[in-house]
Amino acid sequence: MHIACRHLHYTYPGADSPVFNNLDWTLEGPGFFALFGLSGTGKSTLARLISGELSPGQGEIDCPKTGCILYTHNAERIPGWGTVGAHLRSVTPASKTSLLSTILKDYGMEAYLESRFSGLSMGQKNRINLARYLVQEFDLLIADEVLANVDEPTRNHILERLKILFPQKTFLYISHNVLEVARFSQAVYVLPHASAAGTDRIHKITGLGHQEGREASEELVQERVYAILRSAASTSEPRP
Amino acid sequence: MRTLKRLFQFISIYAVALGLLWGVKIVYGFSDYLIPPPLEVLQVAGQNGLIYVKAVLDTLAVAIAGHMVAIVLATVVGLVGRLSSWPGNLTRTAAYNLQAYPIVAVAPIIFLFLGDGLASRLLIAAMICYFPLLLSFIGIFAQPVEEVEHFFRITGRINWRLELSIRTFENLDKITTVIVGSGTMALVGTIIAEFLAATNGIGYIIRKALYQSNLAKILVALFLIGLCSSLYLSFIETIGVWIKNRLHGEKTCLARASTP
Amino acid sequence: MPRTCFNALTIWIIFLLCFIRCTSNEAPRVETEDNTTKTGDSGPIIVRLKWLYNTSVAGEIWARESGIFKARGLTVRLREGGPEQDAIKDLELGRAHFGVASADQVIRAASKGAHVVVLAQIFQVNPLQWIYDRGKLAIAKPQDLKGLCVGVTYGGNDEAILSALLRMYKIDPDDLELYAVHYDFNPFWKGEVELWPVYRNTQGIILRGKMAQSGKQAGFFNPAAFGIRFVANSIITSKKVYSEQPQLVRDFTEAVLEGWRDAMDPELELKVAGTIHRLDPDTPVSVIQHQLAETRTLVVPESPGAIGTIDIRAWRQTAEILATQGLISHKVDITSLLAGPPP
Repeated sequence: MHIACRHLHYTYPGADSPVFNNLDWTLEGPGFFALFGLSGTGKSTLARLISGELSPGQGEIDCPKTGCILYTHNAERIPGWGTVGAHLRSVTPASKTSLLSTILKDYGMEAYLESRFSGLSMGQKNRINLARYLVQEFDLLIADEVLANVDEPTRNHILERLKILFPQKTFLYISHNVLEVARFSQAVYVLPHASAAGTDRIHKITGLGHQEGREASEELVQERVYAILRSAASTSEPRP
Repeated sequence: MRTLKRLFQFISIYAVALGLLWGVKIVYGFSDYLIPPPLEVLQVAGQNGLIYVKAVLDTLAVAIAGHMVAIVLATVVGLVGRLSSWPGNLTRTAAYNLQAYPIVAVAPIIFLFLGDGLASRLLIAAMICYFPLLLSFIGIFAQPVEEVEHFFRITGRINWRLELSIRTFENLDKITTVIVGSGTMALVGTIIAEFLAATNGIGYIIRKALYQSNLAKILVALFLIGLCSSLYLSFIETIGVWIKNRLHGEKTCLARASTP
Repeated sequence: MPRTCFNALTIWIIFLLCFIRCTSNEAPRVETEDNTTKTGDSGPIIVRLKWLYNTSVAGEIWARESGIFKARGLTVRLREGGPEQDAIKDLELGRAHFGVASADQVIRAASKGAHVVVLAQIFQVNPLQWIYDRGKLAIAKPQDLKGLCVGVTYGGNDEAILSALLRMYKIDPDDLELYAVHYDFNPFWKGEVELWPVYRNTQGIILRGKMAQSGKQAGFFNPAAFGIRFVANSIITSKKVYSEQPQLVRDFTEAVLEGWRDAMDPELELKVAGTIHRLDPDTPVSVIQHQLAETRTLVVPESPGAIGTIDIRAWRQTAEILATQGLISHKVDITSLLAGPPP
């Protein structure tokens, strides 16, 4: 999976300054990657540009012609007229029903299939939403804060299982949890503070997620976290 | 319970209003010609009650029929109005501009061309509650519910039927409110139409009573109108709540009652 | 009911009563020559007419416009009537000093305790008649109505008149087809309704003219010609004004009757028509002149000096008709109603 952004420029309608200005960036999958940045740096905007929900003002985004890119965020809801189970059954391809069962068991959601979505807690809603995306056909899944309301142990378990169940898929995980992105991602792409002229670069910091089977030391984790935070706190200066 | 509550509220307000009227009569010593005494109102109710009940039911039937026609028409036109192409733009522009025009002013012309039968009253009742429905429906059908539609759009499953289902379901409260409100307008419109030029219904009864300056008859007619209006509106509200509860999977009163 | 709600309701009721008290007996304001408004018993006089400005109130209009009222020191303001207006209610509420009302209104009000008196009877013959096409129908007597479609305003006095006529001549109402009329004349033009109720001296003239343009000849079926005497417009006032301001009542009545005498004078026809036209600009002067000529036959009795004469027998018959049809629940002492101007 190869995604490339070249000279990407985007300004929201009515905004004074661009979000991205001449941005170049590539993503090579498969793998579990993270997109990190402080609030308002354009993480969700970049995700929506890549997934095709937004069109760049200038520049190109190269995506595989046959690849499928899905984007999900934590505000999503399922239609309220049916149960959770009925909805999942209606959107799960026949070949993925056993995968769905596995995922629901992993996420502890099997007991809630006869409930209505509105009756679930925020964390439960996050899990169900993610589950339905995971059983779709995709090559890249951009998950924007999708586990924001899930408790940390469950989140960690979900992310671990994600990498095990989908080794050949590419994930771009957007989160504000720097520890989480440092631990689980094989690379963290950090959006710095945008200058008045817009962000034109994304920093790449190697994550610790590639160290399969080995628990990273606390010092290493701390070092990666600081690197990510320093990078996020920096300001993107326009290239000469 | 909802119906009883509405009826109680209406009867209370009506009683207070009548009390105020008779209070004014006593304080200022007005004659029975100006403000009829309670006994005369009761006599009129006794003598003409059945006729008035039939008349108000006639009016209510026309109002309900007109209301239904307006809902169907508003739904159909609302579906067109949600389109981003030229038919949708034209429909929205026409709806926004026409809704400012007082339909009641056109009523005499409608009677001129259609006569004073059912068709005129039905048309006026439908037109008077149509535009508020249409504007609400256009707004509801055209406004995406992004949090729900996103998944279907990005996975290529979205179609117009699913969009409409989602938007209708998510705005059920709004839809119920506008339907209840327009129900009142349908009844008002029918009564005004009858008052202007029809020969049936409670509006016609009121017009005849006005010719004779018979306030007692008007008071009885107003009571029946309020009663029927309260019943109809609470019926619509109940249906709305029932639909919502069914769709949301909440047990209805009946289901709760039957569950051990 | 919680105490606060009860207190709030009590305060509102008291407020509304005071509000009504402050507004209901407010002396009417009248524009004076220098356009300032004056209140008080001595100056402004409000007269509520029965309908809009038209030939049926020619006397009142002429009396004001030609200065007859002014010559007697009366500053009069005429207020147009209409379906929602009732002169008797205005008198009771103190919003008018005088009014124009028909006998059925007066009798109905009196039967319900309204304190009203009649000063003068303007129409000696009721203008409410039925127009028809003489080319198609020949109506010489009430029995000729059988089998015809007759328009009637349910609730109006034409319904009462027609019912009385049918009863008098023992005609079964089922032998006629009754059609409920409203403001639209189309059913008559289309021939669906063969007789249409009109005021002969106003609408009747206009419709007659339109029929003539279509080559038709209008006929008028007049119930009065067959013994149904249902009194029409009369000048009224409240018993309070009558007893407390007799001079005013006398002056006003004499002025109005003088206005009517002039308005019915053929030599003043053009001037009167022009005056009415200023207030009723939609009706051409020539048509108003025809209306005045027709009004003359209805208002002027055999003796011109007796315009305004109260026909007690006609009033008794009107009361009888109303009682028979259940339109009044209590008998009314007609004699006490028909006061005439104070001596």
